[in-house]
Amino acid sequence: MSRRLAPLAALLLPLLLAGGAAFAHPHVWVAVRSEVVFGPEGKILGIRHAWEFDEMYSAYAVQGLGKDGKPPTREELAPLAKTNVESLAEFEFFTFAKEAGAKLKFKEPVEVSLESDEKKIVTLRFFLPLETPIPAQKPFSFQVYDPTYFVSFGFEKETPVKLAKAPSGCSVSLVEPKPLAAEENKKLTEAFFQNFSPGADFGIKLATRAIVACP
Amino acid sequence: MRRAAGALILLLSLMAAVGSRQSAIAGIFPTADCRLPTAAIRLVQAKNPFAIAGREGGAPASGLGATLLAWQEKFNRELQQAAKALKAGDGAFWTLAAASFAYGVFHAAGPGHGKAVLASYMIASRIALRRGVILAALAALLQGGVAIALVGLAAALLGATATTMKAVAERIEVASYAAIALVGLNLVWKKGDALFSTLRASCAPGPSRSGLYCEAVDAGAAQCGPDCGHQHAIDPTRLQRGVFSSEALGAVVAAGLRPCSGAILILVFTLAQGVFWAGIAATLCMAAGTALTTAALAAVAVFARRRAEAWSAAGRAWTGVALRGAEFAAAALVLLLGVVLLAGWSSGA
Repeated sequence: MSRRLAPLAALLLPLLLAGGAAFAHPHVWVAVRSEVVFGPEGKILGIRHAWEFDEMYSAYAVQGLGKDGKPPTREELAPLAKTNVESLAEFEFFTFAKEAGAKLKFKEPVEVSLESDEKKIVTLRFFLPLETPIPAQKPFSFQVYDPTYFVSFGFEKETPVKLAKAPSGCSVSLVEPKPLAAEENKKLTEAFFQNFSPGADFGIKLATRAIVACP
Repeated sequence: MRRAAGALILLLSLMAAVGSRQSAIAGIFPTADCRLPTAAIRLVQAKNPFAIAGREGGAPASGLGATLLAWQEKFNRELQQAAKALKAGDGAFWTLAAASFAYGVFHAAGPGHGKAVLASYMIASRIALRRGVILAALAALLQGGVAIALVGLAAALLGATATTMKAVAERIEVASYAAIALVGLNLVWKKGDALFSTLRASCAPGPSRSGLYCEAVDAGAAQCGPDCGHQHAIDPTRLQRGVFSSEALGAVVAAGLRPCSGAILILVFTLAQGVFWAGIAATLCMAAGTALTTAALAAVAVFARRRAEAWSAAGRAWTGVALRGAEFAAAALVLLLGVVLLAGWSSGA
């Protein structure tokens, strides 16, 4: 038996492992609410994020905290908030912004807090300032995603992106990504080879783009 | 021709074994001016802000994955639902068990250095199928056990916080990297010796004209003909040390020491819901699922190795050298993986 099957098995090994690379899936889910903040001169200063975590990660975050079954306070959650935010820079804050096609840089987050609601669901809030504020006349857009897809980010269903102190006439619209499976299945053979090099990934393919336009 | 194909397949398998960690390997080469995807390397080395047990993620997408992605989310949701239903007393235990098992099967198919270590170890060492499967299962069980011990001791008994558990998980992670490096070092030592001996034997003039390939495990085999009393074929029984040889246990520890995030999350979640026992059961089911997948991988590695061996056994000396070379390469990859992971940790610490 093994005489016939073994070469087949040997050939299957690369397939199995390559396929394996594609099985990466999120462990943490985040519902995103963002606010694009404008300065007094009508320039965009940065993005204020509110990331609400799923039940499992929330349970993990509040583990061992809070007295008498009550949700923990901000102060109690501060150490975890600190660890979370410390490594955000390495992942470009999971926030990928563009001005007329050019990539924008952010500074370290400020006003960081991690809070728990009555149901012990935690939300991470912070303000992400742009390195240099930009005029809003050119189209400004951003996406929130984890390139490694360990975390699955998705915009909240109702009013996920708001504008704060925006000049009159500014508006925001959301562009949903193309359905993944239908398009991806056609590229099965191609994707097999792509697996051997880090390439396009789910994180970006599933990310909604928020576009801000001002007159 | 067939022998060359054998060597080729073995090499291909090796490449695949590290395929999922390719970018981590690339990380040790200078990438400043070449077009290697440095960002991707950085991501593999970087620690996700919301990590549960150290560095995770880092996989590219593919068509196959896209189709299966929905299933995985489904299993994950089912896990959450079942754990909550249990708390409400809806007797959802079997749903939880089944979802955990399925989660384990699919999760184990994900990228991970644990599987790369196991596969490389099995390609480098001549181990029997049954033993390979047992080792893979032990690694899966260890992984589940570490998660249960971590959450059980730290969270359930001592009331530790996420920050503490994260710190402990990171220490375990570093220990697992060190274990990988040690297993690799040991393999490199042994396989390097074997490769060197084979090279010398294959270069020896005279008696080997008979075409009998000499299995040169000891260095004294350089002068070796059909009647010199050395062994000319691999005797599988001679190589079957017990399952619990220190070398095999080392590979199990290296592959299975790091707990998986999925298990930690379900354990903490069930603890919060007051049904910690269900979390333990779910983790064990998950480990069983993981064992199934890794055992299949181990079987494939053993078959690949056996096939290549059969092709080269009756052949000329160079196929033997190729086989030894492939073994050595597998050993070197384990060492490299360990060193890269350790280097990544120390640069991030």
